[in-house]
Amino acid sequence: MVLKVATKIISIIIILAILAACAPAATPAPPTAAPKPTDPPKAAAPTSAPTIVPAQPTKAPEPTQAPTKAPEPTKPAAPTAAQKPTDPVASTPIPGKKVVTWWSHWANEPAKVQVIEQIVKDYETANPDVDIILVWWDKNPLRDAIRNTMTAGKGAPDITTFDTEVVEWVKAGWLADLESVLPWENFNPAAKLDGQYAGIKGNYKYNIGAAYNIILYNKEAFQKAGVTVPANFQFTQDEYLDVIKKCKAAGYAGNAQAIGNRPVTAYFAPMWLLFNLTGPAGLEKYWKGESSWDTPEVRQVLNYMVDLTKAGFWPPTLTTMTIDEYHVYFHTQRKSCMLWVPTWYTGRAFKPEKDGGQSPDFKFGMLRYPAMKGSQYNDYVLAGFESGYAVLTQGKVQDIAKDILKFASQPKYGALWVALTNSPTVIKYQAKDMPKVEGAEKWQWYWDEFNKVYGPLKVATPDTTHCGDFEAALVSLVSQGLSQGLVTVDEVIKGMNAKLCKK
Amino acid sequence: MAGFAIGQEIKKGSTRNSPARKPWGAIVMFLSPVMLYYLIFILYPILATFFYSFHTIEATGGKLVTTFVGLQNFFELFADDIFLISVKNTIIWSIVGPLMEMLVATLLAFIIFFKIPFSNFFRTAWFAPMLVSGVIVGLVFKWIFNFDWGLINVSLRAIGLDDLALNWLGRRDTPLWVVIFVHFWATFGYSFVLLLAGLSTISNELIEAARIDGASEPQISLKILFPMLMPTFITVLILSFMGKMRAFHIVWVLTNGGPMHFSETVATYVQKRAFGWSTLDLGYPSAIAVFWFGVVIVGVSLINRWLKTRVEY
Repeated sequence: MVLKVATKIISIIIILAILAACAPAATPAPPTAAPKPTDPPKAAAPTSAPTIVPAQPTKAPEPTQAPTKAPEPTKPAAPTAAQKPTDPVASTPIPGKKVVTWWSHWANEPAKVQVIEQIVKDYETANPDVDIILVWWDKNPLRDAIRNTMTAGKGAPDITTFDTEVVEWVKAGWLADLESVLPWENFNPAAKLDGQYAGIKGNYKYNIGAAYNIILYNKEAFQKAGVTVPANFQFTQDEYLDVIKKCKAAGYAGNAQAIGNRPVTAYFAPMWLLFNLTGPAGLEKYWKGESSWDTPEVRQVLNYMVDLTKAGFWPPTLTTMTIDEYHVYFHTQRKSCMLWVPTWYTGRAFKPEKDGGQSPDFKFGMLRYPAMKGSQYNDYVLAGFESGYAVLTQGKVQDIAKDILKFASQPKYGALWVALTNSPTVIKYQAKDMPKVEGAEKWQWYWDEFNKVYGPLKVATPDTTHCGDFEAALVSLVSQGLSQGLVTVDEVIKGMNAKLCKK
Repeated sequence: MAGFAIGQEIKKGSTRNSPARKPWGAIVMFLSPVMLYYLIFILYPILATFFYSFHTIEATGGKLVTTFVGLQNFFELFADDIFLISVKNTIIWSIVGPLMEMLVATLLAFIIFFKIPFSNFFRTAWFAPMLVSGVIVGLVFKWIFNFDWGLINVSLRAIGLDDLALNWLGRRDTPLWVVIFVHFWATFGYSFVLLLAGLSTISNELIEAARIDGASEPQISLKILFPMLMPTFITVLILSFMGKMRAFHIVWVLTNGGPMHFSETVATYVQKRAFGWSTLDLGYPSAIAVFWFGVVIVGVSLINRWLKTRVEY
């Protein structure tokens, strides 16, 4: 009898433990204060500084209104002083100082780490009473940790990595308004728009990096496959399909991208092609999840993706390769003809070869997006922003945290970003701001190619933030399903329409 | 006289154990740490999960607004196609997984019980996967099932079976079965050891007596050992069933529930809805957890009732 009772009690405890394990951390978050209303955003005056210049800011209603000014991609200018690696930033609080905690993505991108550590070091030098504790993360665990600490009401840092699409943090009042904090005249105008949300006053994101979506190609692979790049660096829709077939015949995958640990990656290609076909306003319409996908232009792109997939566009390891691995797949293993990738490619690829970086001698070429039939936007390139930073409202030293981001808005840090990461910045700077970076000249060919191919193009940064259901459908149907031939075009369209954010 | 003395001891003991004489101070002192742990880390999350399952939490106007919605979250479950896929996958797994596990673990336990050559080695080898972290298991099998250079496909191609070299983790039909297999590989050792322990408690005299009566090894196994093992068998089966109903870590690492939710389980879907859905609403995922709690209880009760009628001594 006693044994029976004991068994039942133990069973109940086990079941309860299972439920506890399954359950989300349901700690209620104390309501947080709404961000203080501020004046409506004012457009910052563009300057001639060599920073990304968006031709079409996020709210452009009509493609015809797109600005025509060509972008001026950044490139390292004449150095003024040798840039040395920063000393490691102290990771434990120093007694007697005001401690600011800063959680940042980019743990695996040493050049970006170096930029942020330099900012921290400079700020601490200028403010001896402040001690900044930097913690490096991968993006997904960082987001989970922010969510958990903010919900729990304690443990969150003062500054965190923030991406525009995580709109729920803004809606919940977790982020401090930076509208009146940052010197917006130092930024490209699009960078300011990136931190704003419809119906919510304020500006919530500090940006430093811009990201052009570009196509890299392996010159040797193209040669072996018998592919000749057109003079304008742009294949037509049919020509590009033929390129993929030739690459496959030569033993190469068309594109190195994979979805092993970044399930969104395989929707880049259809997204950029839709951009090419429909322009910034068209992409915004479809990618925000506010318009039916059952249109001829969406069908054209999706059908073309099916053709590309059948021709060998994706690597055979699409399902399992991680983001770091597919960089290596392209630049070191050289198993693909091309890589469709934002300019954050350099963060992982331009590090020492012993750490998984590429050889400076692997001088790849660049291509413009395939010209879709009927496209009016062949002279456009799609751009966006790298992860940026935000100040969390839970912190007790918000003013210092804001001041740090203001400090990081100086032109010299935009220049430092470009010099060290070989990636564009949204902070305007002059040539005199550019530091000398030892060995930077070995990547000059990259900038030469970049300026040659994308320099003459117009840049657009459409707003593509959307709701959770739509994102899940994009990942499932477009990134995972279409790329692996698991769904038909009709199924994709039906599935996407079922998850539209506004019906 | 001795029996009388023992009876006296029992009587004295029972007097000493009456409520009035119990050492409550010591009981509270020893129980309070674990009870505190239980209250904070088990009971509170459970109660909170029940509470939130009847609410939605919306980030709006700069704060989190919790609204009571009654059973709305539960009704929405049945219109959620991803949830239904995850339920289907988990149920398939909870049926196939324990069957496979019990069959293999029981067979191996009997093999070791009868002390085949190298039985000590096999006992360790079969239990060894249990000692490896589920995350490591997931990563290793991700490589093993890699389409291009994974051990499975390389082996198949090496023996000319190229057509069978599939993209195991990237199809509609195989990811769930890969996950079931890997989880089985990683966990069957636990069932095996429990069953072996159960067999070890069976009196040797019974087996010897059966042998003297002319019973063969299979007869001893089926007619004596297995019936005697049944209580342990039921416990292990229930544990195995519950393990499948809440399976998470191997799926998370191996397929992340993909592609297209073809290997999604209820546990991974709860995680996604709670922490990766561009929303801060814990109400809906809580409703999934509460609903699944009910399903697990019903499942365990059914297994328990059905098998207990078959226990014979």
